Amino acid sequence: MNELTNQQPVPSDARVFNDATQLATNVEPMIELRGVYKRYGSFEALKNIDVTVGKQEVVVVIGPSGSGKSTLIRCINRLEVHDEGTIVVDGIELSDDVKKILQVRRNTNMVFQSFNLYPHLTVLDNITLSPRLVRKQSRKVAEAKAMELLERVKIPDQALKYPGQLSGGQQQRVAIARSLAMEPNVILFDEPTSALDPEMISEVLEVMTDLARSGMTMIVVTHEMGFARQVADRVVFMDSGEIVEVGDPEHFFTTPDEPRAQAFLSQIL
Amino acid sequence: MMIWLRKNLFRSVGDSLVTVIAGSLSLYVLFRIVRFVAVTGRWQVVETNLALLVNGAWPTDEIGRLSATIVLLGFLGGVASAVAGLVTSDVDSEPPTLFQKALDLAIRLWPLALIVGLVLLLSTTTGPLLLTVGVVGAVTVGRLLGGLLPGRVRPVVIVVALFGALASIWFMSFGHSWDDWGGILVNFFLAAISISLCFPIGVILALGRRSEFPILRMLSTVFIELFRGVPLIALLLMAKNTLGFFVPQEFTPGAAVRAIVVFVLFTSAYVAEIVRGGLQSVPKGQIEAARANGLTPIPTTFRIVLPQALRNVIPALVGQFISLFKDTTLAGVALGFLDLLEGGQAITQQAEFRGQGLVIETLAFVGLLFWAGSYTMSRESQRLESKLGVGSR
Repeated sequence: MNELTNQQPVPSDARVFNDATQLATNVEPMIELRGVYKRYGSFEALKNIDVTVGKQEVVVVIGPSGSGKSTLIRCINRLEVHDEGTIVVDGIELSDDVKKILQVRRNTNMVFQSFNLYPHLTVLDNITLSPRLVRKQSRKVAEAKAMELLERVKIPDQALKYPGQLSGGQQQRVAIARSLAMEPNVILFDEPTSALDPEMISEVLEVMTDLARSGMTMIVVTHEMGFARQVADRVVFMDSGEIVEVGDPEHFFTTPDEPRAQAFLSQIL
Repeated sequence: MMIWLRKNLFRSVGDSLVTVIAGSLSLYVLFRIVRFVAVTGRWQVVETNLALLVNGAWPTDEIGRLSATIVLLGFLGGVASAVAGLVTSDVDSEPPTLFQKALDLAIRLWPLALIVGLVLLLSTTTGPLLLTVGVVGAVTVGRLLGGLLPGRVRPVVIVVALFGALASIWFMSFGHSWDDWGGILVNFFLAAISISLCFPIGVILALGRRSEFPILRMLSTVFIELFRGVPLIALLLMAKNTLGFFVPQEFTPGAAVRAIVVFVLFTSAYVAEIVRGGLQSVPKGQIEAARANGLTPIPTTFRIVLPQALRNVIPALVGQFISLFKDTTLAGVALGFLDLLEGGQAITQQAEFRGQGLVIETLAFVGLLFWAGSYTMSRESQRLESKLGVGSR
């Protein structure tokens, strides 16, 4: 995996940020959050979030538990409704407009901590359901595509099994294949390896690394610091609902600027 | 054997005492039962009145229509069960041999076979035997044909089979007004029609009670709480006595329709609550995954949530249906059908002999018939549950 440290999807000379939450000028934005607040009663889960993610960029969000990482990415596909600010995904601004929400959900996809595969459907049906119902693909086309994706996540032999018959790592790879089947522009990962046994984490991270290399725009909430360091274009550090520091992974992991980030890294590394 | 006995029945003095007392009591009861069945019971009452218990006073010249309907129902049932089997068949297991299949069937259906055997034994004509052969043949042919259908058409086939069944029962009523049906037949048909109607209505009510629309939610809640809070027998008596006040005479439906309406109203309220419990048992992550994957609310409900919810509540649901099957006897009490129970009672009260006072024998037979039906439903539900459990966590 070492050669990945040299991976640079954006020319390095272009990455001169005035403000690290913003993009370099020559990168097109995919997701833009401006002044986003999310409140549960009087508790502020997200406070004044400002961040832009560019096309084909891989952003890793880290931070202590309860810092609002999951809430942040769940706002991007409207599983949570933000209270203030604007969120624009692939040119569509999220509002109460159901059509726009659906459009955003068709352009994005999410991989969950607990996989959330449909237990009553086979692996193949899990993957083909949305393409068939939403993208109106024929069963034949959808299944051919699904088999291709299962090859890609290296479990084509499990196609006719049910999720309950697979290991956690296999289930999460099916979940990634299910996301890819909708041909999204963005995939949001919500702690994809946190529910896995240690020996299965690497097989999932491998698939995610391949995906990042193929140019998929990804936002990854994770505790896998090795992955963050090797694959991320930028690291976002959150604490108590705020974005505390944004930076290039090499810089962030070796010499973080903020004391809170320093404290967090010293605890986990 | 000896070790097992010692370990389980005679571990201590107290244990041994309990074993001896309970053992002799149960042996005595068993002896009385066997003696009643084999020696003292006067089963002639059942033999003489068999036709009355099975099909009531169905006119002899219309018996062909009745038989044809039952054979047709058997055929439709066969097709439906084969098609439903396609949904759940286990991909990993090898196809069973013919012997395994036969053994499996024997274990599954022995109570029904026992009843059919008993009726055939007691009957003096060849009609029932021919009908049995016809039904078994129809079910087999139906299953074979159903197995040939491609999996894609299965929802259509199941709906067609259901409507076919309802239509054929309706067709049967041309020969002999519903209200004069009798025997186990009326219990069976009341239960079958009510179950097939109350299930979809109950599901709709359950979804309504969880709906985002306040009016829908309120209407469903009122309906459920209203019909769940009134005794079934009270509803049936109301259907008999008070309907006339609200509906002009010429529009009042017959007793069978009234009974079915009451059963459907009452049971769908219970089904709704059972299904609501099932809906709540589906993890929130399932809905989130479906949403994140671009599905709109309707496919999310019908493709993701409902299948899992219904699977989780099969035992409670079938319990409710068994209860309904037995409660059809209340229609006999309240609305004057000569159903299996009422018919059985009537036999024992005939003025000239033919069974006067032989209450125990008649009730035992009636009970056995209901037990066979209920037990089969219960067993089949367990089977369905474990078959659908292939994909469970």
